[in-house]
Amino acid sequence: MGKFLLSRLLSLVPILFGTSLVAFFLIRLIPGDPVIALLGLEANDDAIAALRSSLALDRSLPVQYLAWLGNVLTGDFGRSIQGGRQVFPLILGALGPTALLAVAALVISLLIAIPAGIVAATRRDTVADYGASFAALCGLSMPSFWLGVLLILAFSIYVPILPASGYVSPLVDPLRFLSFLVLPALTLGTALSAATMRMTRATMLEVLRADFIRTARAKGVPWRRVVWRHAFRNAQIPIVTLIGIQMGQLLGGVVITETVFSWPGIGKLTVDAIFARDYPVVQGAVLVTAVLFVFINLLTDVVYTLIDPRVGLQ
Amino acid sequence: MSAVAAPGAALARGLVRDRRAAFGCALVVVACLAAIAAPLLAPYDPNAPDFVAALSPPSSAHLFGTDDLGRDTFSRVIYGARVSLLVGLVSVVGALVVGTGLGVVAGYFGRFADALIMRVMDVVFAFPSILLALAITAVLGPSLSNAILAIAVVNLPVFARIARAQTLVVQRLDFVEAQRALGFGPFAILAKTIVPNILAPIIVQGSLLFAAAIITESYLSFLGLGAQPPTPTWGNMLRNAIGFLGLAPWLAWFPGAAIFLTVLGFNLFGDALRDIFDPRNT
Repeated sequence: MGKFLLSRLLSLVPILFGTSLVAFFLIRLIPGDPVIALLGLEANDDAIAALRSSLALDRSLPVQYLAWLGNVLTGDFGRSIQGGRQVFPLILGALGPTALLAVAALVISLLIAIPAGIVAATRRDTVADYGASFAALCGLSMPSFWLGVLLILAFSIYVPILPASGYVSPLVDPLRFLSFLVLPALTLGTALSAATMRMTRATMLEVLRADFIRTARAKGVPWRRVVWRHAFRNAQIPIVTLIGIQMGQLLGGVVITETVFSWPGIGKLTVDAIFARDYPVVQGAVLVTAVLFVFINLLTDVVYTLIDPRVGLQ
Repeated sequence: MSAVAAPGAALARGLVRDRRAAFGCALVVVACLAAIAAPLLAPYDPNAPDFVAALSPPSSAHLFGTDDLGRDTFSRVIYGARVSLLVGLVSVVGALVVGTGLGVVAGYFGRFADALIMRVMDVVFAFPSILLALAITAVLGPSLSNAILAIAVVNLPVFARIARAQTLVVQRLDFVEAQRALGFGPFAILAKTIVPNILAPIIVQGSLLFAAAIITESYLSFLGLGAQPPTPTWGNMLRNAIGFLGLAPWLAWFPGAAIFLTVLGFNLFGDALRDIFDPRNT
């Protein structure tokens, strides 16, 4: 296992190197002088000279990259142009709300997708199956921000029982936090549930055709027990893998949902920084999100290998 | 060539038999017609303001109501189809052509070309797609062409990976070996033999990514990073609607429904294509 982990970690090195290059060039690709883009046209000469020196812009590109990478590895992502705060603590502060939203969305998606997928598989070619499958396809086709807007219309305007946007820390006021959480988590969770439902249905159909299911039924095991104890247990591996992949995709999905609901996570931080042309924050947020994405995918690989003995550790 | 020609008949038969596919096709055709015939179908100039009629609800004069500047929402939804389909088409075709080219080169030549191309594709894949598209448009500036470029870039690795995998299989087949023995050069073999024989799964993937590209374009427009106002796009119409949800909810219903139905059409069509070309179904 240790050898497997080490080899997977080593395979990430070129990818992490590449992501760092992309993040590094984000600022260098801005049309015009990056220093002016960072500081604005009104910046004085001293500030321009200081930033040019700290970015090592008067040196060769490899030297600039190494200087930047050295800073990043020690947690120095530079300072935000808006307010001058250090970028890294800003990103860390935004990761908490994003993680809370992502976990809530995942729980909601599983609560919708697993029962719906099992019902669709066990009642194949019935109205329930067609209904669940069509609903899943609709879920895959619905842009999350439109669903968010429809939920705001339904629950904040027509029947005003939930706030349309905002955030309060769960440590300060847990109930208000939950009221703010419901709509964005439903928006993200519903979008995620579509893919999970399709996977649950497909996997359950495959398992329900297996010999050991026929044997269990022949022995007189009740149908409900066959479905949950025998079939679903064996269908969990691809579903768990998909959930791992979705955890990574959530990092992209939160960008839109956080913007619609003014949820102060990493997605909203990135979008706000883009509009403020706060490039150090954009650069830091993109890099941290990409690195998290890469490691979540690695974790999914490892968990998949651990829970499925048929997958070798090669 | 025959590998592509034969599925053409299967595709037509499949679309006729499969009601889901036919429904998907119908939705796609309606969206395409709206885009092509927008000047004929739209009752008003999509950018002409009419402040007297601002925020009017749906009526016989304005089927989908009007926005805060009194512009006809129905006309803007119809013209919005142009942008969405244009972005979907150009970005997916661009990614398909470049990605397939890179994939076949990586698969056929192997070694250094393979390692270099596929590691770059791995890096592109290492970013959540919407985040990478955002970053690209943030750096290059918000515009329609930059949105197309961003969506094409994030889709490149999908085509490159499929093309590489298919090339690895096809290049070992006897007819490719025969062409090598006859002295055909590598680029002639790639262009005339390998690419035509790996196109089917790539086209299926393209149809599914078309739907994803339309959604990504709507995300970028919604965030203000796609085509800029006054050009109507479904995404920027929804962005505008957010400010008037309580007063004029119809501003959110119709552009959202247009995205949803168009994407649903492409997803149904793509699913049907996948089923038709899936060898397990033959």
